[in-house]
Amino acid sequence: MSAHLLRTLSSSFLIILCLGHNPASGQAAAPKIPRMADRKPDLNGIWESLSTANWDLQDHSAYAGPMWEMGAIAAVPAGQGIVEGGLIPYLPASAEKRKQNFANRRSADPEAKCYLPGIPRAAYLPYPFQIVQSNKDMLFIYQYATASRQVNMGKPREVGADSWMGMSNGHWEGDTLVVDVTGLNGKAWLDRAGDFSSDGLHVVERYTLTDQDHVAYEATLEDPKIFARPWKIHLTLYRRVEKGFQLLEFKCIPFAEELLYGEFRKKTGK
Amino acid sequence: MTKKLAGFFLCGVCLLTPAWAHHSFTAQFDAKKPITLKGTVTDMEWINPHAWIHMDVKGDDGKVANWMVETGSPNILLRRGFTKKSLEPGTEIVVQGYMAKDGENKINGGSVTFPDGKRLFLGGSNPDQPTPTQ
Amino acid sequence: MRYRHSLIGPIVFAATVITVSAQPVAKTATASKAWKQPMTSWGDPDLQGVWPSTSMLQTPMERDPKLGTRAALTDEEVAQKAARDKQFHQLETGNGKGFVPLAAGWFDYGQANRQASLVVDPPDGRIPTLTAEAQAREAARKKHWNEKKDSPDTWMDLTTWDRCITLGPVGSVMPFAYNNGQQIVQGPGYVVFRNEMIHEARVIPLDGRPHASPEIRSWMGDSRGHWEGKTLVVDTTNFNGQVFIGSQGGGFGDSGAVATDQLHLVERFTRVADNVINYQVTIEDPQTWTKPWTIAMPLRREADYDYIYEYACHEGNIFMHDALAGARAEEKKAAAAAQKGAN
Repeated sequence: MSAHLLRTLSSSFLIILCLGHNPASGQAAAPKIPRMADRKPDLNGIWESLSTANWDLQDHSAYAGPMWEMGAIAAVPAGQGIVEGGLIPYLPASAEKRKQNFANRRSADPEAKCYLPGIPRAAYLPYPFQIVQSNKDMLFIYQYATASRQVNMGKPREVGADSWMGMSNGHWEGDTLVVDVTGLNGKAWLDRAGDFSSDGLHVVERYTLTDQDHVAYEATLEDPKIFARPWKIHLTLYRRVEKGFQLLEFKCIPFAEELLYGEFRKKTGK
Repeated sequence: MTKKLAGFFLCGVCLLTPAWAHHSFTAQFDAKKPITLKGTVTDMEWINPHAWIHMDVKGDDGKVANWMVETGSPNILLRRGFTKKSLEPGTEIVVQGYMAKDGENKINGGSVTFPDGKRLFLGGSNPDQPTPTQ
Repeated sequence: MRYRHSLIGPIVFAATVITVSAQPVAKTATASKAWKQPMTSWGDPDLQGVWPSTSMLQTPMERDPKLGTRAALTDEEVAQKAARDKQFHQLETGNGKGFVPLAAGWFDYGQANRQASLVVDPPDGRIPTLTAEAQAREAARKKHWNEKKDSPDTWMDLTTWDRCITLGPVGSVMPFAYNNGQQIVQGPGYVVFRNEMIHEARVIPLDGRPHASPEIRSWMGDSRGHWEGKTLVVDTTNFNGQVFIGSQGGGFGDSGAVATDQLHLVERFTRVADNVINYQVTIEDPQTWTKPWTIAMPLRREADYDYIYEYACHEGNIFMHDALAGARAEEKKAAAAAQKGAN
C-alpha cells in the first residue's frame, strides 16, 4: 500500500471515528456525569439556582422593593430573565391581573405568607433543595417551608384533587429526567413580581446533568386560561459542594403570622 | 334533639379516640347555636386541614345566601378513590351543625347527608362498609 | 458527642419484637419465614415505601395501670377492644333516625392487637414522671391553654398544630384518626423519613458526620443515621425547646410534654417483613422527664395507602382566622352589652 493511500485511509478512519460519535448516546465527547447502578444519571445531591428568577422571571432593571423601611435590603437587583423569548405571553386580562399582583405583592405574595411555592417556583427559590434518588420514586425536598414532592417514576399517577405542589410523574428521555406536573391548584405565584397562573397550569420540567456539578433545568408552562401560548424558562442548578453542607429547616409560619392574623390580635391597654 | 345527639357524638368520639379533634371546637363554633341547612352545592374545596362545602341556601325571607360547611381532611377520601368531581354542583344536601362565632355564613358539618339521609362519601376502611361508588 | 448507645435500646427492642409480632385479631400472618431483607443497589437495607401508623390507632399511648408490667393483652382483652372498635363504627353509621355524624367516612380505624400501650419502656408502659421544674412548666402551659383555647388573644395561645407548624418528630408518627402516612425514600448515603401531617421530610445523612452546630436549632431537630445490621439507627438533637413530645400537638389530653432544647431522640427502624417495619423511639430530656422512655410499634403497609397526599395545613388554616376573629367578635358583643347595661 502506498504511503499516500495509507495516510488517506488513516485520515478517513479518524474522520469516521469522529463522525461516529453520537452525542445523544453519551459517548466520550460528552462530559462525565455521575450515574446510578442502573446507568441512569445520578441526580442525588443538594442543588440551588443562582438566578434572579424568584424576584422577577423576566429581564428587569434594579427597582424598589415593597418596603422602603428595609432600604436596599428589600430592593430588587437587576436580572437577566430566564424566559425564552423574553416576555411571558399573558392574555390581556391576565396582564392586568399581573399588574395588580405586583402592586399588592408585599402582602399578596404567597411566599410572604409562607405558603407552599408550587412548581416551577420551587426550583428557583433562593434556598437549596435536595434530590434523593434510588431506583424507585424520587423525592425532591425543599428547604423552604418544609415543602417536598414525590416524582413518580413508575406508572403515572393521577390525583383526585389539586394541590400546591401538584402531582409529578417522571420518566427518562435519554439522560434527561422529564417531569410532567399536573394537578396544580394555581394558588402559588411564579415569582415575587406577581407572575401567576391558574389551576389550569401544566408544567413539564427537564433536568439534565451537564457535568458533575451542574444541571440544565428547563420548564415548559402551559395554561390557556392565563397565557396566549406555552412558554419556557431555562436556568442552571448548581450543586452545593461545601463540605458537610446540609439542608436546614426553614419553617417560616412563625414569621408570617403577624402578617396573616395581626389584625385579629387582642388589643391590650385602655 | 339534634344538639343532644351531636353532644353525644362529640363525647362518644372523644372517649374512643382521644384528641380526635386537632383544635378546640368551641374556639371556632358556637355550641349554643345549632342549625340545619338544606340547599344545593355550589362548590367543594378539597383542602386541608378541612375540606369545605359551599352551598346555596334559601332563607326564610326567600333570599338565597351562600354558606360554607366545614368537613374533614380530604386525604382519606382521596385514598378511597373520591375526587374533586365526586360532589357535583347542584347536588342537594342537608347539613346539621353549629354556627361560626365570627358571624359569617359558616358552620361545621356535624352531619352532611343527601335529603334521604344517606351520607356523602359512603365507604371507609371498615370491611362492613360498602366501597366508594365513584 | 451525642452518640450514646445504652443497653435500653436492644433490650426494649427485643421485647418489642415479641410484643408486636403477635397477630392482630382478625388478620392472617404477615411475616413469612422465607422473607429476605431487600437491599438497595448501593448495598443499604431497603426500607423504602409508605408505612402508615394507622393499624395502631386503637392502642393507647400509656398502659392501663391495672396491667402493671404486662405488655401484652390476653385474647379476651383483644376481643373486648375489637368490640369497642365495632361500636365506634356503629356510632359512625348514625342512630337510624336520620342523624349521621360527620365522622362517617372521614376517619381511619386501627386494628385491635395485643400491644397494651405504645410506651414500652419504662416496663409499666407509662411515661416517666416529669422533673419538678418541668411539672411547673407544664402546669403553667396547660393552665394557659385551658384559659385561652376557646378565645385566644393571639396565635401564640394555640398549639403548634393549631398553627400548622408541626406535630414534632414523635407526634407526627403517633397514630391518629387520619393522615397517618409516613414514607421512606433512600439514596446513596441518605435515608429520608417523610410524614403526611404536617409535610416534613427528615433528611438523615449516613456518612458519620457530626451534628450541626449547637447554634442551629429547629422544630424537627437535626438527624444523623447509621446501620446496625439491618436496623437503621437515627440520632436526633438540636431541638429548639418548643416542641411537644407525645401524642399529637399537645392540646386536649395529649400525653407528653413540651421538651427543652436538651431533647435527644434515638430511633430504630427494622424491617421484619415485606409489609412491616418495627419502629421505636427513645426519648431523653433530663430537664423534662426523670428518665428516658421508649415508644415502639409496627408500621404496617396498607394496600390503599401507597402515596402521601399533600397536607397543606397552613395554607387552608381557616380555623386560625375564625378562632381569632370569633374571639374578637365575642369581646365586641360583650363590650356592647356591658355598655348597654351601664346606660
